Amino acid sequence: MRYEFRVTGSVSLLLAETFPDLVAEPLPRQTRFFGTVTDEAHLYGILARFQDLGLRVEEMRRLPE
Amino acid sequence: MPPTEPPLSEPPLSDGGPGATLPWSGDPLLDAKFSVPAAPRAHVPRRRLLGRLGDGANGPLTLITGPAGAGKTTLAAAWTRDGAPPGAVAWLTLDAHDAAPGVFWSYVVEALRRALTRLPGGVTVPACPGGVGTSLLTRLAAATERLPGPVVLVLDGFEKVAGRRVPAGLEFLLDHCGPLLRLVVTSRVDPLLPLHRYRAGDRMTEIRGADLAFTPHEAAVLLRRHDLTPGDDAVRALTQRTEGWAAGLRLCALAMRRTGDPAGFTRSFTASEQAVSDYLLAEVLDARPTAVQELLLRSSVLDRLHPDLVNALTGRRDAEAVLARLTRENAFVEPVPGTAWCRIHPLFAEVLRTRLRIRHPGLVPRLHARAARWLAGAGRVTEALEHAAEAGDWQYGASEAVHRLLVGAVLAAPQAERVERAFSRMPASVPGADAALVAAACRLARHDRAGCRERLAVAERHLRGNGGKGGGGEDGGHGENGAAPDPEAALTHALLRLLCEPQTEGRPAQETARAVSDLMQRIPPECIRAHPEIEALRLHGLARALLGSGRLAEARRLCGEAAGVRATEATLPVRHMSLGLLALAESAEGDLTAAEDHALRSLVIADQHGITADHRSGAAYLAWAEAAFERDDPGVAHRRLEQALACRDVDEDPVLATEAAVLRSRLELVGGRREEALTALCRPGGSDEPWPTQRIALARSAVALARGEHRAAVAALHGTPAGGPAPLVALARAHFAAGRAARAVRLLDRAEDSPHLGLPDRVGIQLLRAHAALLAGDRATAQCLLGRALDTARPERLRRPFAEAGPWLRHLLEGAGGTAAAQARDTWLTAHGGRDLPGPVQPLSNRERDVLLCVQKMMSTDEIADELTLSVNTVKTHLRSVYRKLCVSRRRDAVERGRELHIL
Repeated sequence: MRYEFRVTGSVSLLLAETFPDLVAEPLPRQTRFFGTVTDEAHLYGILARFQDLGLRVEEMRRLPE
Repeated sequence: MPPTEPPLSEPPLSDGGPGATLPWSGDPLLDAKFSVPAAPRAHVPRRRLLGRLGDGANGPLTLITGPAGAGKTTLAAAWTRDGAPPGAVAWLTLDAHDAAPGVFWSYVVEALRRALTRLPGGVTVPACPGGVGTSLLTRLAAATERLPGPVVLVLDGFEKVAGRRVPAGLEFLLDHCGPLLRLVVTSRVDPLLPLHRYRAGDRMTEIRGADLAFTPHEAAVLLRRHDLTPGDDAVRALTQRTEGWAAGLRLCALAMRRTGDPAGFTRSFTASEQAVSDYLLAEVLDARPTAVQELLLRSSVLDRLHPDLVNALTGRRDAEAVLARLTRENAFVEPVPGTAWCRIHPLFAEVLRTRLRIRHPGLVPRLHARAARWLAGAGRVTEALEHAAEAGDWQYGASEAVHRLLVGAVLAAPQAERVERAFSRMPASVPGADAALVAAACRLARHDRAGCRERLAVAERHLRGNGGKGGGGEDGGHGENGAAPDPEAALTHALLRLLCEPQTEGRPAQETARAVSDLMQRIPPECIRAHPEIEALRLHGLARALLGSGRLAEARRLCGEAAGVRATEATLPVRHMSLGLLALAESAEGDLTAAEDHALRSLVIADQHGITADHRSGAAYLAWAEAAFERDDPGVAHRRLEQALACRDVDEDPVLATEAAVLRSRLELVGGRREEALTALCRPGGSDEPWPTQRIALARSAVALARGEHRAAVAALHGTPAGGPAPLVALARAHFAAGRAARAVRLLDRAEDSPHLGLPDRVGIQLLRAHAALLAGDRATAQCLLGRALDTARPERLRRPFAEAGPWLRHLLEGAGGTAAAQARDTWLTAHGGRDLPGPVQPLSNRERDVLLCVQKMMSTDEIADELTLSVNTVKTHLRSVYRKLCVSRRRDAVERGRELHIL
């Protein structure tokens, strides 16, 4: 499964590094993270980590394969 | 209640009284879980929220949700301190290791216990989760009914115990607790509770993220407390930019103080497009002196920081001062109340770890290895092993595990999973006896006996090599070889061998058990005292071996002893297994009441201590199934058998696998499916232990007899090991069916002389004799023998032999039915009343039965109240006592149990 997440604001390289399994891409006033998500547990783990880091998820969707 | 006295004395756990709690280790970190966190410096009291919490605490549930750093804990703590809560406060800080229901609820009980001792005329909370009979939750709910005053239970960080089972238990508690228990839950995510229902019923107060957000006024107060007085515009801009996020505002304050240019900071921050947390983290972290940054980076490998541990990781001496300063500033670390420990704020931990990985990639394993050694030295072995695993320092980890006698804990303790998980990545190539022993223990914990034996063989080779001339590992047990280098390794080896090796005859097991005993003598007594699970496992292993060789009486005695070992967290799982095995031996001998009692207790222990499915023994279900079968209740037997088969050890342990196969075969036979009955007994591999071999032979013989194949029935018994009277009775049955009555009676005479005659066989003999007498035309003797058989079977309500006896029995019974007395004597044979099942200890009252009937119709509490014109609270009270009497904790289970007991 591939997913993308959009979080509020730009995110520094360092913070992006805390998601080694995702690619970060700057957008205007947002950062887009995308990559392969193994399963649901992984997905919820990623969401929890966004929350841990105080990042706000604005949008999340599954990408076509 | 069945009159039979259980042979096992009540374990000390359920003695009640103040001393019966689990031994809380006095670990300050554990105590900290029950302490209300101190207020951060520059704390802003938030009257609007305190007021809402105060109102909320008049109802059963207050829920505080919000993202990390929103100020949930701070708010709840401030309210319990200064908000005049309505009564005593029981505080529980949760962390990720508490997610097992058993662990969680034992903490809840402990938190309440601590709170209630502060109450006048205190109440007895169920002393210990191990008390048996009714489930902990029902007893907890019942205890809350008798509270002398309101009690507030705060569960802080509920998201850490996610999953379904803990919230399900909490839902039960909320539905059934007395009116004086008030719950305050803080969580980052909405808990899996029926919140819509609570909202609709106006039973919950919610304080959500938006409520927790700081208003510009509160933000101004916060900044003022940090000696900052920015203008209204600046305050509004900061509040807007952070969206009132408490942690963000705190970071703003730190950054502003550092730059000395609040206005400049505000401008650049509000102009930046960077994510709030990202901007502020970098701002605050990068402004620290390099040394402090380095300290934080290196400490980020830890869950919790102790000054000495941080010194050990950084090579500094001043960690205490640095940490104290950081704590005071409330910048990166927060204290663990009442201890020298602190933890890195979760907001920073991940960022610091990433930085560490990038800046010093090679350092991470070294830091873990150092942390492991410090923690081991401080006696925090489980954490030490986790760090050793992180470091990939397997040899050190394995050596620590073996020399601290953790083998028993791997097999039994609640930490088992943590330790097992830590070692799960250990490659098989790690050299040395210790690594092989740890791997063996982990495999046995997963019921992989073959894997355990394989690793033990490797360990033995190493132990022999290391032991030099004496061969210490192998022969250490004889106690002569004082030069054997490692009593701990030898003990671990011997204990594991005892537990995993199938016994071809009883002797080697007893020798190994004696070796374990001898080796225990060579270890400092305080170590052995700290690990009572070793002795419990030794007794259990020996009991299991004796059961395998068919020495049931001795096995039962040892199971009882194993279950009676002093209760600690680590011995409770052994108690669960031993009671199950005891029940199994009892059901095989026809002591059905005792079997059901012990099976129930075994299962209750498993439930209440959150023993996970993987570590559960199916022996208790199996015993329960057999008892139900012997009482001619194939439906229940079938259900319990399925439950047993879901447990791993029923697959792996030859004795359990055999009992399951035999029971399956007997059930098929009752259903008239003879082919299936036979195939059920064909197990690939099989076992060469005498008792299971004999049990299979007996079952084969029974199937053959049912098919009318007398010769096969005799042949199946040929050369059965383990001796005892059972094969003689089966042989007699076969010869009798083949028309050789005289020979059968001679065999019965021999069988009856045996002191090991079980109840089913005793009854079977009497019935065979009765049948023989009947065939010989001696109806009076037959009737007399039948009467004796009924008398023998009645105390245990053993119906199976009568159900299997054939049509002659019915005629004889009907013939005997002339007198009322005789009729009264055998009504139990056909009556399937509830009395013969374990519980209910007390019968349900009519009202309780009505309520249960409504529950069966899926009615809600409110609907039941309407239906029966009772108040909701009365319905709840009735429900509670129904649960208590039926030993269940859920509606569905209550209905199911009610059906089983024929109450419904």
